[in-house]
Amino acid sequence: MSIPPDVLLGEPLAADPTPDPPSGASGVGSKAGARTAALWFYARKLLAAVVSFFITLVIGFVLFQLMPADPVRALTQGRPTSAAQMQALRDSLGLDKPLWQRFASFVGDTLHGRLGFSWQFQEPVASLVGSHLWPTVLLMGVSTVISVSLGLWLGIRSGWRQGSVFDRISSGVSLTLWSVPTFWLGLLLLVAFSVGFGPIPSLFPADGMSDPSIAAAGWPHVVDVARHLVLPVATLVLGDYALYVSIMRSSLIDEMDSPYLLTARAKGLFDSDVRRKHAVPNALLPAVTVIFLQIGGIIGGAVTVETVYSWPGLGYLTYQALKVPDLPLLQGTFIIFSASVIIMNLAADVLYRFLDPRVRAQ
Amino acid sequence: MRVGTVRHDPRGPGRVRRLVAIALGGALLVAAAVGLGTGPASAAASDTNLTVTMDGSGIDTLNPFLSFYNGALNTFGLIYPSLNSLGKDGVPGPYLAKSWTTSDDKLTWTFTVQDGLKWSDGQPITAEDAAWTFNLIMTNPTAATANGSLVANFASVTAPDATTLVVKTKQPQANMLYVSIPVSGIPIVPKHVWSAHVADLKSYKNETYPVVGYGPWLLQTYQTDQFERFTANKAFRLGSSGAPKFDTLVVQLLKNSDASVAALKNGQVADTSVNAKQFDVLKADTKMTAVQEVGNGWTGLEINGGARTKSGKAIGTGNPLLGDPQVRSAIHWAIDKNKLLTNVLGGKGVVGNGYLPPAYPQWSWKPAAADAVTYDPAKANSILDAAGYTKGADGIRVDPRTGKKLDFRLGIHSDSASDAQISQFLKGWLTDIGISIRIDSLSFAQLNSNLSRADWDMLMDAWTTGPDPTYLLSIQTCGTLPDDTGANGNTDAFYCTPEYDKLFAQQVVTLDATERVKIVAQMQDILYKANYDIILFYGDGLEVYRNDHVSNLLFGPPSSTGLHPAQSVFWNYLDATPPGAASAAPAASSSKTGLVVGGVAVLVVLLAGAFVLRRRSTSDLRG
Repeated sequence: MSIPPDVLLGEPLAADPTPDPPSGASGVGSKAGARTAALWFYARKLLAAVVSFFITLVIGFVLFQLMPADPVRALTQGRPTSAAQMQALRDSLGLDKPLWQRFASFVGDTLHGRLGFSWQFQEPVASLVGSHLWPTVLLMGVSTVISVSLGLWLGIRSGWRQGSVFDRISSGVSLTLWSVPTFWLGLLLLVAFSVGFGPIPSLFPADGMSDPSIAAAGWPHVVDVARHLVLPVATLVLGDYALYVSIMRSSLIDEMDSPYLLTARAKGLFDSDVRRKHAVPNALLPAVTVIFLQIGGIIGGAVTVETVYSWPGLGYLTYQALKVPDLPLLQGTFIIFSASVIIMNLAADVLYRFLDPRVRAQ
Repeated sequence: MRVGTVRHDPRGPGRVRRLVAIALGGALLVAAAVGLGTGPASAAASDTNLTVTMDGSGIDTLNPFLSFYNGALNTFGLIYPSLNSLGKDGVPGPYLAKSWTTSDDKLTWTFTVQDGLKWSDGQPITAEDAAWTFNLIMTNPTAATANGSLVANFASVTAPDATTLVVKTKQPQANMLYVSIPVSGIPIVPKHVWSAHVADLKSYKNETYPVVGYGPWLLQTYQTDQFERFTANKAFRLGSSGAPKFDTLVVQLLKNSDASVAALKNGQVADTSVNAKQFDVLKADTKMTAVQEVGNGWTGLEINGGARTKSGKAIGTGNPLLGDPQVRSAIHWAIDKNKLLTNVLGGKGVVGNGYLPPAYPQWSWKPAAADAVTYDPAKANSILDAAGYTKGADGIRVDPRTGKKLDFRLGIHSDSASDAQISQFLKGWLTDIGISIRIDSLSFAQLNSNLSRADWDMLMDAWTTGPDPTYLLSIQTCGTLPDDTGANGNTDAFYCTPEYDKLFAQQVVTLDATERVKIVAQMQDILYKANYDIILFYGDGLEVYRNDHVSNLLFGPPSSTGLHPAQSVFWNYLDATPPGAASAAPAASSSKTGLVVGGVAVLVVLLAGAFVLRRRSTSDLRG
């Protein structure tokens, strides 16, 4: 029996590593068993996700109810408002309803896909979330793609040449940036590249997502949004990419002394091939979890960066909701954030099963 | 330990070249993006545009019947008419109403509405629009959400003909001419548009653009949490003022003051509010004009002197020792307001005295010399000594009746740098007279909640007011105390005395301006002596605008050292004119930017080329 070279190298395979079973009833049974096991696996994970979501709903509701709040006073602050007006507002917001009634309508609304009605914006929460979702997805999506790509690339380079000048500089710079407060970094970039200093003129806009004087369509709009993206994305990338550098670097260092790498080298493979085709795929697994968790957090946005750069996203919407506090809006955004994290965790679990044969074998 | 021979891939340099090519492409794209978006080339060619910053509260809704936030109220002031305007001298003047009379019993007001005005869709503006707006608020609970209290004293509003509006009140109403003024009053909406939305008033967002209205500006679009874009209403007339001089107005929401200043410096906005430190830096810039406007608000120390509900039931956890007027008086004498003004505001403001701020000189009040409280810790100590509060071994005074220490909580806003500064000064001064305070840094929501439930001893507080002081005066009346459940209170500091309430009711019905001023002065005297609200200072409004972008903003006297706060939005945007050489500075900046961007792009290309050549020349050594 010939042994596939990748098995000889001890490397996990992209395809099923187990040899093809002999044809016959037992082989069919084994495949059917594997399918059943897989279905059970997916069912368990799905059930766990649903249970997690429900528990999160309950926790979220209870936590928000515990928050100190006098929303009517906060909303009407500074405006001539009579006691009768305040009572009417309390009635319309449902503040005098018993807690169980509010919980029942919260769960009922959530199960029907409704997220409530914002107290301060007088608008369905779903509509508010919808209008703030895409700016956040754009900002966080672009920054996550760049952070992940840059972080993994630098992590691989650093880990492969551990202790080299490149490694020391790369790790030092990334950890320094990681420890810089995002708000401060954002303000520095704002002053440097939006206001300009010395001979450097203003290069990028200070705020917002688009220029009011440019029509919101076509190539000029794309370029305009891209210009507005540069500074917030740079702030997020500089603050976040160290996470991927660290994980990828340490994960790769763990693999460095593995026998399969020795075998690969003994076969006369180029160093870059040994790294790219053998070491990195194994070292990538821990990074996958982190990446998916990060993608789940994309929806949550970045309150700080969105505030510094006046980006009209979900992070800033949540901040506005907290100030009042606007409980339906807070609960709505909380549901969206929780759901996205849970779904991405589920996706990571499923993907892990494809990437790592050991998970399939369990 | 690394084991084995390492072989290098001779294809390496090729990949490097590809990577360099990608990087170069990216760099050039960024350079192109910067270049394409730089400067005014992207703006409409001939239109003059004024870009300003929005009030930080933003816009909650564009439905004027439901909105509470200043960003929205400013918008309504620009796009909807009101019955009266507020003149540049702070006195109510004509707007939709060109004149008015009052009946002998002071219960009937007859307004003559201007003839020939038209909504932006061409429909005529009549008295019926005003009558319908007021009646809707008087009869529809949803429509009353934001402005119900302003018409609470109205008995009826009718429009016998297109130019006559008759308002009958239940009792005389001194502030009638402030009920419908731009920004802080009721905006008049077009009946023919809004009558179709009475049924869905609660959910109607009023976002059909351009919004039908009549004001100096027409709202063309609002990008949520980003900006509003207006065009000038060329048909607008108000007294000697014609249409706005700029063609378009953009109001941008910037979420922090550093971003606002950055936007001002790079020319994105022409005008913004700043803090004291930013003001000092920017006023040295020749392209900027820094304006100090007299304060229309105060910062104060609020003292819980014994919280009660409307029925007189004690509420909350306030320290009862603050119920002693001598303790509150001693606290007042222990505060060095001059030092606070210098250290916290850099001197940009006025030391606090009366309850109403100095922006409105008709209401401004100062205590008589004999009653004036100044910084005098010795006097504060003697007051407490005389009241029997003796100092313990730790220097903190003890109440001889209860044996409890004069130890109070001070709630401050966690997001306010000035609150943090002030609280440290207060802590030091009060310790000097034997009072200890514990500083609680609280979120806006928590502080508000504590305030409502009376779970506080002392709080940092701040208020601003429009030209009619009725509301600010009202929050010291017994009627604003909460009910027994603790809900529906709107009180500022749980102050409640029959004497003050009587004067409040009296000034509401006193149409004689001079007489009303006298009553309001008495009310301020009472509040000053009660020490429930110790007014620390009135901070100036600080505004900076680019003089290469805009001129003719409203300045100066009669009543202020700078802009008139109440009319900043309405008059400034209306009267502002584009300077003759508006485009000179941005164009120069654009050219400079282009040079730098081009230089950086060329440098990147040269460095990348050198890198590739070096990799190629040493590829044999590495391969």
